[in-house]
Amino acid sequence: MILKFLASLKLTLVILAALGVAVLTAYLSETPTTWALAGPLAAFAVNLAAAVVTNPVFRHQTALLVFHLALIAIILLITVGRLTYLKGQLELAEGEVFDGQLTQEERGPWHLRQLDALHFSNEGFSIDYAKGVRRGVTRNQISWTAPGGEIQRVVIGDQTPFILSGYRFYTSHNKGFAPTFIWYPRSGSSPVLGTVHLPAYPLHEHKQAIEWTPPGGKIPLWVMLQFDELILDPAKPSEFRLPTKYQIVVRVGDERRELKQGEAMRLTEGVLVYNGLRSWMGYTVFYDFTLPWLLAACTLAVLSLAWHFCCKFLNKPWDKPT
Amino acid sequence: MTFELELQTLWAALVLYVLAGVLAIVGVALQHKPERMVLVLLLFGLVLHTVSIVMRWDRLGHGPYITMYEILLSNVWSLLAIYVLAYWRIPAIRATAAVVMPILFVMMGWLLMASPYEGHLPVTYHTIWLFIHIGFGKLFLGNVLVAVGISGIILLRKSPYGSVCLVRMPEDSRLDELSFRFMAMGIIFETLMLIVGAIWAQDAWGRYWAWDPLETWSFLTWLCLAFALHVRVTYKVSPQVGALMVIAVFVLAFLTFFGVPFISISPHKGAV
Repeated sequence: MILKFLASLKLTLVILAALGVAVLTAYLSETPTTWALAGPLAAFAVNLAAAVVTNPVFRHQTALLVFHLALIAIILLITVGRLTYLKGQLELAEGEVFDGQLTQEERGPWHLRQLDALHFSNEGFSIDYAKGVRRGVTRNQISWTAPGGEIQRVVIGDQTPFILSGYRFYTSHNKGFAPTFIWYPRSGSSPVLGTVHLPAYPLHEHKQAIEWTPPGGKIPLWVMLQFDELILDPAKPSEFRLPTKYQIVVRVGDERRELKQGEAMRLTEGVLVYNGLRSWMGYTVFYDFTLPWLLAACTLAVLSLAWHFCCKFLNKPWDKPT
Repeated sequence: MTFELELQTLWAALVLYVLAGVLAIVGVALQHKPERMVLVLLLFGLVLHTVSIVMRWDRLGHGPYITMYEILLSNVWSLLAIYVLAYWRIPAIRATAAVVMPILFVMMGWLLMASPYEGHLPVTYHTIWLFIHIGFGKLFLGNVLVAVGISGIILLRKSPYGSVCLVRMPEDSRLDELSFRFMAMGIIFETLMLIVGAIWAQDAWGRYWAWDPLETWSFLTWLCLAFALHVRVTYKVSPQVGALMVIAVFVLAFLTFFGVPFISISPHKGAV
């Protein structure tokens, strides 16, 4: 009796309506509302499973049976995917090696974070811009060490991600300039290279300054990149590049210095030496091991539904259906 | 010169469509059957329309899927191509032109008011998945449009004037069955559109689904379509109720295709 209720087509209609309401709620809500979808999807899985078990129509309509089983598989895969996914963002200056640190991160409760074991290096990029500063193709060369020890290189960008241990790294539209400094701590410990990721360019063209604390230090500095030349010309096609004539301004409290390459600035916690200007690239990272299975289940669902309708419609001509 | 010729070719096509539509409406009103002439005019219109699209594609180096003008240009073409195929293959539904053509007239008027100048082709559009995604979307909307034409006839026949003008059309149950078939084809193509769209989104933005406005409303349209098909199976509803549900699905799909992409600030816009 309960199984028949759970399998009823009327319940399917209620669930479809509830799913619609849940989607609208999640869409209109400003806070994450995965829970709103979880209830109707769980009910949908139960409804489908009960229908498959109790409804005799599935015993002689194989296509319909496959369709319903594929729908159940999709719901289960989405559930597993949401529990184990990872989505994040990171930035790497040219020559910098990824060490597992993300600037933003969102993940499912069952995600086994393996990012710390992954390493690759940003070896620079080029981006074409069309007239009107319209972004074109991104080509970013990256390198990593293969399990055999040899250095591998690949160009990624736009639709081409770098895939490592199931993590998919995509270049993002965020990129900019990165002044680099060598920091000699007063404590006498080894000098460290520090990169300052200035706000994204050309998105924040007129805000090329940021507060930055040297590696291991406590006192924040204010670092600014000043240049007058036009990097991306709206009047003609151009390419992202570093400015050729620029000034690096560093300010600590009331002290303000303009540094040229190799020049040093003495601070309370150590000595800061300007090393040069590089670029930085922003990446998004995505992990969901269910992706190929989800695609397979979706394809199976749509093909079986098409097969079901074909069987149903081919028996009667389209110009004279009864 | 090429741009002007492209527009003139399009206007010639639109004139032929309007002539065909007017002839179809007058034919239904006067209970005449100018069907062969309507078909010929639509076919000639489609040929000119195709030439106009090919000229634009060749001039700009990309397909008509960036600006509102291009989206209307390609959708009027695809909707008419699918409708003409149905019109030719299923003579029993030819009176539906009196319902379908006015809907297309609205789109044609909108097309004429839209700016025909080129837009910027985002780098995320350089993928074969975009073409497949758009293709399935057009097939979906085309099938639902044919179902709307049939549903319109079912509803119009309830009016005193419609019952006289449309007396030679097949009975409601037969029209309802045909409408269901086109809606069934519609759900197949919409599902394929969503799947392929997810593949494209994964490549383009590093996520297969993010509930952006177009994704959300496309999924709501899919749910509405699934709901309408299920209601028909569960309750054996009357052809009139079935027809109203078909129209509801079409309205939602129309708003999703032509409304949401242009009020949204998300990256997923204008791809249908």
